[in-house]
Amino acid sequence: MKAAPFAYHRPASVDEAVDVLAAGDAKVLAGGQSLVPVLAMRLGRPGTLVDITRLPGLDALSVSGGELRLGAAVRQRRVERSAEVADVPLIGRAMPFVGHRELRSRGTVCGSLAHADPAAELPAVAACLGATVEVTGPSGTREVAARDLVTGAMTTVVGADELITAVRFPVARAGDGFGFAEIARRHGDFALAGVAVHVVRGGAATLAAFGVSDRPVVRDVTVGHDPTEAGLRPVTDALAREVVDTAGDAHASRGYRARLLGVLAARELVRAHREAHA
Amino acid sequence: MRVEADGTAEVTMTVNGRAVTLAVAPRTTLSDVLRDRLGLTGTHVGCEHGVCGMCTVLLDGEAVRACLLFAVQCDGVALTTVEGLGSASDQHPLQEAFAHHHALQCGFCTPGMLMSSYDLLAGGTYDEHRLPEDMSGVLCRCTGYRGVLAAVAHVARAHPDGVPPPRAAVPPALVGRSGSASVGATLASDARKSPISAPETIAIPSGPPTATVEVRSELTSPVDDVWAVLADFGRLAACLPGAEMTADLGDDRYRGRATVGLGPVSLRFEGLAHVVDHDASARRMRVLAQGTDRGGSSTQAVIRLAADPADGGGTVLWADADVHLSGRVAQFGRALAGDVSRRLFEQFATAVDEAARTGEAPAPGSGPGPVRLALVAGERGQPQLVPMRRVWGTVSTIALPPRPSMRRMSCSTAV
Repeated sequence: MKAAPFAYHRPASVDEAVDVLAAGDAKVLAGGQSLVPVLAMRLGRPGTLVDITRLPGLDALSVSGGELRLGAAVRQRRVERSAEVADVPLIGRAMPFVGHRELRSRGTVCGSLAHADPAAELPAVAACLGATVEVTGPSGTREVAARDLVTGAMTTVVGADELITAVRFPVARAGDGFGFAEIARRHGDFALAGVAVHVVRGGAATLAAFGVSDRPVVRDVTVGHDPTEAGLRPVTDALAREVVDTAGDAHASRGYRARLLGVLAARELVRAHREAHA
Repeated sequence: MRVEADGTAEVTMTVNGRAVTLAVAPRTTLSDVLRDRLGLTGTHVGCEHGVCGMCTVLLDGEAVRACLLFAVQCDGVALTTVEGLGSASDQHPLQEAFAHHHALQCGFCTPGMLMSSYDLLAGGTYDEHRLPEDMSGVLCRCTGYRGVLAAVAHVARAHPDGVPPPRAAVPPALVGRSGSASVGATLASDARKSPISAPETIAIPSGPPTATVEVRSELTSPVDDVWAVLADFGRLAACLPGAEMTADLGDDRYRGRATVGLGPVSLRFEGLAHVVDHDASARRMRVLAQGTDRGGSSTQAVIRLAADPADGGGTVLWADADVHLSGRVAQFGRALAGDVSRRLFEQFATAVDEAARTGEAPAPGSGPGPVRLALVAGERGQPQLVPMRRVWGTVSTIALPPRPSMRRMSCSTAV
């Protein structure tokens, strides 16, 4: 369980990081809470790790222009404890489910997006809220909608010579309500099914399901004026049957995951609707 | 700043109040440095991949997994290990409470439990109702959780204004056990390792497969053209994402390699394939495959392929496989399999259709994209006789492991 030998590169600038990545056979090391286990098991053996956690500017956490912007070196636990997280309540709801305290103290928000585990919470939050991801490569920085970021299990549109440098979440407005829930076998495990929801006063809602496909699945839902869990179940159950396309495994069949998603979605939509109309 | 793989970097850290400077190789973990170089064996190492929590220490005051940090990342940080929390003669209140509440049996998890609970109480987010969840980051295998939770709750109540800081008044001497001389030698021997040799025979494990995949794809090409691709192993191999045939060994045996890439996971399997059944009239074949990665992961598979004519002149391509994973890839495995396997077979089917249409194997690079890795946890059970599946008709039975339907994936793909 020791990583194969690799060169360690701590660049002084994002440009230098991009140069090292562009040279090939290199991976970005941020929090390392997903990457290092892969190295320890020798399921991956990149020639170079590019440690971006000390790059100037990447540790910035700020709110401006109606957006919460998190640099690539901003750790999950710092976000969770920050005053600014109140501006994007869905992050605060989701964060306790991300691994454990001991992992969030090192893990980064952008790293979770870049790793794109199908059962990860933060890519679903970013997709639900319509966050914007800043991706920097040899030709500069481009913006990618979080909903377009993930293209498959642990696969994103970020090129081998690019890195995510920041993510911007829209700040909640009056009349917004949120919900987040997941079911895992033990706290901190990857979710068997989970849901992040955003309801706007008036009834329009966005739902992002995770752990049930190879990427977060975003759907618009209409919840009406006075939704109840029982009343929403036909809608969420049908939605769950449509979006759950992961295979079953020893822990949860496909049908069970769909059942979980239908229940969680209805419950959280009602909760978010109540919050939006409070 | 760059440290080559066979080089070392000087790292200065404050450990339990004492400054230390060491030369470390990039791949050396913090947990190994604490134990092997500084003699701080109170930090235990369990799983070495961040799951068990035995190696939990405080880094700049926050609990972290020492096995998920490379020491080279830790230049300038302050660390507290269980030795710094308190000593036998001057115990920290948490240590006293653990003793009082019998929060330990074998004691292996105790350093991790202590450091994690210190972090919880010092972090300002303590909530007695959430205590079980908040303490779930460290595993105990003696079922000692109740004692641990009682001890932590006791200290929280006894110190409502915050838990006292680590004692660390008399930090233990930092003495190395194995020194640093072995780093270069270890790397050198690693580099000298010869490439893995491919196995000479294919042995399919007798137990149940890790994953079972069953895919049905509708192709536009006529069935005879599709079968011509499947029947020519060189063309078939070219349609497998990431795979390459390197030698025809005769007697329907082939040597090859397959690269699997999934995020940071990158495995390179070298191995053999053996076409054990080939029925041209029924357009069915069965292939055994085996591959080994130099990292100690291996896979074996029984793959069945069948081509049937479809209405409208196209072809229905059936592909199903029993995939056995062993070694570290199996440890890592969980339910990514369905999504990933489906992609793999979609890519394979697309490539077969293309090859059937053009009469050629897909050119390297133009064919399927990166392979997706099949990772699922399987259930264990005894082999049993089950009817062969519909692809093979109902005329015979074959010994197959049990297949709970929940483990099974079936999907249709229109290509």
